[in-house]
Amino acid sequence: MNSEQDVLLKVDNLKKYFPIKGGVFGKKTLQYVKAVDDISFEVKRGETFGIVGESGCGKSTAGRTIMRLLEPTGGDIYFESKNLANLDKTQMRKIRKDIQIVFQDPFASLNPRMRVFDIIEEPLINFGVTDRQERVRRVHEVADQVGLTLAQLKRLPHEFSGGQRQRIGIARALISKPKLIIADEPVSALDVSIQSQVLNLMKDLQKEFGLTYIFISHDLSVVKHFCDRIGVMYLGKMVEIAGKHELYGRPLHPYAEALLSALPSSHPLNKKERIILTGDVPSPANPPSGCTFHPRCFSCMDICKTVKPTLLEVENNHQVSCHLYQDTGIVENNPQDSPLLYQEAGVEIR
Amino acid sequence: MVSKIMEVKNLQVGINHDNRDVAIVNGISFHLNKGETLGIVGESGCGKSMTSLSLMGLLPPGVRWQDGDIQVDKLQFKNFKNKDWRKVRGKKISMIFQEPMSSLNPVYTVGDQIMEMVLNHENVSKKLARVRALEMLHLVGIPRPNQVLDEYPHQLSGGMRQRIMIAIALSCNPEILIADEPTTALDVTIQAQILELMKKIQNQLHMSIVLITHDLGVVAEMCDRVVVMYAGEIVEVAQIVNLFDSPKHPYTQGLLKSLPDINVQKEYLSSIPGVVPAPGNMPIGCRFAPRCPMAHERCKEAPPLLTTSDGSEVQCWLYDDGAEKEEIR
Repeated sequence: MNSEQDVLLKVDNLKKYFPIKGGVFGKKTLQYVKAVDDISFEVKRGETFGIVGESGCGKSTAGRTIMRLLEPTGGDIYFESKNLANLDKTQMRKIRKDIQIVFQDPFASLNPRMRVFDIIEEPLINFGVTDRQERVRRVHEVADQVGLTLAQLKRLPHEFSGGQRQRIGIARALISKPKLIIADEPVSALDVSIQSQVLNLMKDLQKEFGLTYIFISHDLSVVKHFCDRIGVMYLGKMVEIAGKHELYGRPLHPYAEALLSALPSSHPLNKKERIILTGDVPSPANPPSGCTFHPRCFSCMDICKTVKPTLLEVENNHQVSCHLYQDTGIVENNPQDSPLLYQEAGVEIR
Repeated sequence: MVSKIMEVKNLQVGINHDNRDVAIVNGISFHLNKGETLGIVGESGCGKSMTSLSLMGLLPPGVRWQDGDIQVDKLQFKNFKNKDWRKVRGKKISMIFQEPMSSLNPVYTVGDQIMEMVLNHENVSKKLARVRALEMLHLVGIPRPNQVLDEYPHQLSGGMRQRIMIAIALSCNPEILIADEPTTALDVTIQAQILELMKKIQNQLHMSIVLITHDLGVVAEMCDRVVVMYAGEIVEVAQIVNLFDSPKHPYTQGLLKSLPDINVQKEYLSSIPGVVPAPGNMPIGCRFAPRCPMAHERCKEAPPLLTTSDGSEVQCWLYDDGAEKEEIR
């Protein structure tokens, strides 16, 4: 298959800086919060790409910038080879039919004064489906797909539980028949028993409609379960991108390693050695020099304090942005050699 | 021999709705042993937070203590007045809350807030209280404690604020610490720090902890015994290993199965169908029956808490058949 065709979304050096205003009239820009700082990744058609990271790492901003709910400061977003960053408002509106978003908080993202039917129908009106019969048919169809009954369509959002509301949010995203759905923490406000219902539903829909997901979450076990490839973000940067088996089997970046080891164990007898990071995430307005992770890193070297690492593919399907791997000169597509080199670089292999 | 430090007997907490008592916590009984960590788990709305608030006498307005008692040492909490509560809070039982952002006072310095507790309970000078506050900051691992003492909560990060909460809670050496979702608002790396800290301090001060959480991972990490709540009732009480190895109640089983496991890859997660019933509209009999895959005729009658062969207590008729399973109440 043609690999160019395979890639649905390609994000190149995407940046989103928020200005911090100051001065007497609040018009002077003092500095910028680099919420998303130069990230690049690809999402293939039909796959689920996960973005994980802690609060404030820029994962939600990344999601919103991709569909231009926030204007990117720089970089390109290629969606089916069209560059979204250059489109004007009208053109972008048309594209949004193909890219939809499901928000985190099902309590805040539904208009409390609209009936569920109207909420789900609204995108169709926006995208110019003028035939009312057709709209009704589509709403009923999609409601059935996400497991809402016809009687429920007449109700208001407050009459629903969190899991049900998230179904409404998914139905609203689904009705314009999108190719890509950006799911921004879709299950983190839900209880575990409901969380699994929604995840299963999303998986079913993906199979049925061949959807592509960008799944943004802070919950590492949910991401492992749900995603095919995963990008780990820290302070606005992608520090590691890998297939889920590669990432969870052997995280390369010290931050990814610490993040995975911080996860509570799933069984009381199965206590593991922990890497406990010291300190907190620094402020994105004033990030540390060099590698932004270096003040908390347990493998920090001198070079990390001054030189920014770049994201390199060190193994097949495994990119990492860390000096530990940049100097070792690991050759691409030669994973047999790499364990030795990691050891030389002072990295423990598990 | 383990001794009980706290006993909750038939606690019923609820609201008055349309001149009718609606129970949010419906007659639960459990105990806390000295030095142990007891987990209370359940989903939102199961009554776990109301249980913890009643242990501190902090029930919100409109919510009433309807029945039952809580006993710590020789104290019976049932008929406590405000001034009795004040003697107990912080001194005997302390609590840390979920939101370190909103549970600290933004207009007082960190030092003032720790000293307030010490000055309330102990007959010491302000100077000594300040020294004590500094010690507490050391204990909870705050970097540059001397400066932080004079800083305001907004200057600190979430993890640091939770450490301050813990410092305040522990400043008068309470025997019992109630932690209501202490790490839910925090990131995983910070959560690991705070859990580690709680374990360390528990060993140092020989405290008993009641840990309220919805996160079974945190439970596996921290607890010795676990109480599982569903819809205002206790459905299972078990030793931690038994809970994970052989969960008894269908609800506990469903809950454990619906967790994605990082070591196991499967296509679909199993889930519990339906939703938690609302208080005031509870099913008759077993409250889990409408969502239970094993429900049968007998579940129309409320099951008692039964003891199983490995010592777990479970409120389910499925465990009422063998001779070795006797009724305890």
